[in-house]
Amino acid sequence: MILKSTWNEFIKIAAKPRSYLGIGAITVLVAVILFALKADGMSFISFVTASFEQTLSFQGDILNGNLVAFIVLQMLVIHIPLLVALVTGDLISGEAAMGTIRMLATKPISRSQLLISKFLAGGAYTLLIVIWLGIMAVVVGKWMFGPGDLMVLNSDGLVILQNADVNWRYIGGFAVAFLALLTVSSLSITLSCFSENSIGPIVTTMAIIILFTIIGTLDVSIFDNVRPFLFTTHMAAWRSFFEEPLPTQQIWNSVIILVGHNVILLAVALLKFNKKDITS
Amino acid sequence: MKKYVFTLVAALLALSSTAQDATTIINKLTLKMNKVKDYSADAVITSDIPMVKILPSKAVVYYKQKDKFKIDAKGIAIVPKQGISDVTKLLADPKSYNPIYMGKEKLGNVMTELVSLFPANDTADLILAKLWIDPVNDIVLKSQVTTRSSGMVTAAYTYGNQMKWGLPDKMVFTVDVKKFKIPKGVATDINRNTAKDGGKDTKKTGEIKVDLTNYKVNIGLKDDFFKEKK
Repeated sequence: MILKSTWNEFIKIAAKPRSYLGIGAITVLVAVILFALKADGMSFISFVTASFEQTLSFQGDILNGNLVAFIVLQMLVIHIPLLVALVTGDLISGEAAMGTIRMLATKPISRSQLLISKFLAGGAYTLLIVIWLGIMAVVVGKWMFGPGDLMVLNSDGLVILQNADVNWRYIGGFAVAFLALLTVSSLSITLSCFSENSIGPIVTTMAIIILFTIIGTLDVSIFDNVRPFLFTTHMAAWRSFFEEPLPTQQIWNSVIILVGHNVILLAVALLKFNKKDITS
Repeated sequence: MKKYVFTLVAALLALSSTAQDATTIINKLTLKMNKVKDYSADAVITSDIPMVKILPSKAVVYYKQKDKFKIDAKGIAIVPKQGISDVTKLLADPKSYNPIYMGKEKLGNVMTELVSLFPANDTADLILAKLWIDPVNDIVLKSQVTTRSSGMVTAAYTYGNQMKWGLPDKMVFTVDVKKFKIPKGVATDINRNTAKDGGKDTKKTGEIKVDLTNYKVNIGLKDDFFKEKK
């Protein structure tokens, strides 16, 4: 029953034109980035490596598909939450606004199952977005620029990973990125339970992300105890897969925090939705 | 007055004699080097540089007199900017430097002749090059090249079965890395607070080892080969 309901919810998502905004936006953005890097990627690389190139010389094909995919991910993963929230923030409140939630509640399925099916459908849509981003960044990137060793710049310096050692890192990175975006999806669906209109949960989700990101980046000691528990702190955890040695403990910590957020948000949503007075 | 003239003449003679020594040493060295018109060799490049994590990478290096050099790396390889063939290139152009004999110095078990090369031109990139030369085998055992663009690079050379050509089996470069800075805004790993991690590498020098094998000497490399893009 829950699978059938999830499928129905997914069909509803697929029927909304705004659901294709995310796919379309990713396609256009990645195409623009790939075009720009193809046209003048070396100057971008020079900007990154300029400090090192006073003393050292980098030999080999630096601007390759793996680096391009990494740049695309770095640029886009931060912005994808908006595209996710745009669809998932509407799942409950949109039905409340249209007046269809009452009818939905009369179906021979419990409210909890109905809500879980909406969470699952939102998760499936998020997964679709992540897979599409992966295809556009990694597959198209490698097709256009060819494979090669990946040069990653992080705050500790340069990490150069061999081509054969990169694909599993992308899979792990995308899995953690999915978990982070799933948290955004769960947050927006939970907020959607509290609202009767579509815009409120979407805007509130983005406001929370911005607020938490600012708290996370502000280097003020008062936030030191809070920062590790904010989901936004772990939204860039996918990058950890591109460090050497792999910070396994840090990755697991991020996974636990993100899963914890999803469980708590689902619990709050269940509590609210089951007690919700549906009058529309 | 006679005393002053004698001192001046003695000083000039001494200077001319050391310059003569240095020129002779360098000439013997370049004579050996000039036997190698070109070469290719397989290289394994191992870098231990602060702020850079990279596994050893394989490459093929090519050189042709006087100043053509090319590295075909299988992946990404890091070499010193002032690198593998720069001493050879420098010595290939005797008009670009003035050699001065600096004395003898023991390197390991070998008593070397230390020769400094000063630029002949004020505007040259070269500031000073010091060469520790084994006078028995006419090979460079150590070099220290300081340039305006790249700072100081020290290299130690180990020779094996290609000693007859003056080609090393192993080169260890020590490079100055205190200038490395990561551009802010590019390295945006949000979940990392480097200041508090305390993990910043504070080493001021990096080391790059280049192991060279499978030398092919005087294989007739064409000039166009060095223009080809990989």
